Amino acid sequence: MGLPTVTIATTDFVGLAEITAMSEGVPDAPIVVVPHPMGMIPEAEIQKKAENAFAGILKTATQWKPSAKLPEMKPAYPAGRFTFRGSVEELNSLFFTKGWSLGLPFVPPTPDRVNEMLKGTSLAPDYVIGKVPPRMGALTVELVAAHAVMAGCKPEYMPVLISALRAMLDPRANWRGATTTTGTTSLLVIVNGPIVREIGIASSQGAAGAQHHANASIGYALNLIAQVVGGAKTPSPKKSTLGTPANFVPWIFGENEDRLPEGWEPFHVKRGFNKTDSVVTVMAIYPPVENIDHWSVTPEEHLTWWGHLATPLVSIGGPCWISQMDQIHLVGIGPEHAQLVADAGWTVEHYGRAFWEKARLPFSAWPKGCPNVDLLIKKLGSLGPDTPVPITFSPDHIQTLIAGGAGKHSHYFAPFPSCFPVSVKVEK
Amino acid sequence: MVVLVIAVGLLTLTEMSFAEGANPASATIPIPPSFEVLNPEGVIQIEPTVKLNPHPSTLEGKTIMLRWNGKHNGDHFLNRIGELLVKEVKGVKIIRSWEVAPETVEPITGSQERSMALMKKLAAYKPDLVIGSQAD
Repeated sequence: MGLPTVTIATTDFVGLAEITAMSEGVPDAPIVVVPHPMGMIPEAEIQKKAENAFAGILKTATQWKPSAKLPEMKPAYPAGRFTFRGSVEELNSLFFTKGWSLGLPFVPPTPDRVNEMLKGTSLAPDYVIGKVPPRMGALTVELVAAHAVMAGCKPEYMPVLISALRAMLDPRANWRGATTTTGTTSLLVIVNGPIVREIGIASSQGAAGAQHHANASIGYALNLIAQVVGGAKTPSPKKSTLGTPANFVPWIFGENEDRLPEGWEPFHVKRGFNKTDSVVTVMAIYPPVENIDHWSVTPEEHLTWWGHLATPLVSIGGPCWISQMDQIHLVGIGPEHAQLVADAGWTVEHYGRAFWEKARLPFSAWPKGCPNVDLLIKKLGSLGPDTPVPITFSPDHIQTLIAGGAGKHSHYFAPFPSCFPVSVKVEK
Repeated sequence: MVVLVIAVGLLTLTEMSFAEGANPASATIPIPPSFEVLNPEGVIQIEPTVKLNPHPSTLEGKTIMLRWNGKHNGDHFLNRIGELLVKEVKGVKIIRSWEVAPETVEPITGSQERSMALMKKLAAYKPDLVIGSQAD
């Protein structure tokens, strides 16, 4: 665009700013660093910070010249190989030291094992699936196989793993934002169709939990690739304030299609696929919120409780990033809750609208400093303190699926800002 | 299963009994004391898609765009910078992005395309320099 710039970043975030600039093709951006933080401090204090930074800003504005170069482009295939002398435990230590593992044990990615894993896909090993942000590591099928070996996958898991990666690297998934935020984000991976049974993806009791080999190893491989090839490492550029165990193994499960109430379509069919298609859907999420309802005997009672429980979730993003109110939010309806609703003759659309109508927070609860209130007024009209602000701008933004097995629990998955669910058909 | 594999160390995995869910890719391959492994990191491939223009040698008489992304206090910080620029630099003109183009106040654009679209709106004001506040 041809505009000279000066970017202000705080001490805690300058690393992220530099890596982001590098990944966009700018090896050394003109950045002025100020002491962290800038947000949530009094105005007088931020003005003082501006005064202290002014000389540096003036100097950078008029004297900055580029001095660094982009790293040399090397072929992505074949991956580098080396001979390691030592035990498997020592190899684990070496990889961890180099930032090539998550700290969990892994299986050594020997060429023999990688070749065996590659039998699980018809794609050529040199095929580049994409570049994984923020590091922009080139992700070949061979490299996917190496991580699949490390995570303990079976070769037949490769098509699901590759489909999930294709979805994750789709720009609509905004993986760069989700993996460098201060928020507590992780991947949500939902699998539909015949592949669920074929490779043993858990889709019923405790499906997102432990002791499901396919879910665990595919999920582990996804996070390995995101953090090793993508370079999303703590404390920079991965800036999550607390982090989450889901950064080891993400939320990954099959929809419980066996427990769909009569007349309700599977998640992937609602998203435009055929019922016989195998589909992987990926979205970056905040930690899910659980609804426990053992007591309601009508849909109205259940949705009143669920909606009010979900109301504080408006605070996850809405006040700060209004874009979230135009995004898709997912509700994983427990099979028993779904049956309660369906037995009363409700459609899934009816469920989504009722949830949306109940999940609202009075405008008075929003932080005064949040931006974009003008845009909110444009969408909702004038806002008084008691105006109920919905969780999204439209009930169509609420999408549902059947999640889990027996029990009286549903889950709400709020998206990270600008992250949309992306569905990819599984090709073997 | 992964723990099991590591626990055997230098032994061959064929000596172990594998439960359901074991990795067949590993089941028949011995782990020698010296073995070849792949580097799992892969290479970085960054295209030189952006070229930065030279900075002006002086800001006198220039138009400066202050760009706020919506994060808390960034506007206050930039406001103060704007005041100091007017005070210290002769003939400087200040444009505040959030006043002239409030639709560009967006901390997480989600895509390069969206970011470029917002920046084009700001470029339409023909600033000589943009000072942006990133936060947090």
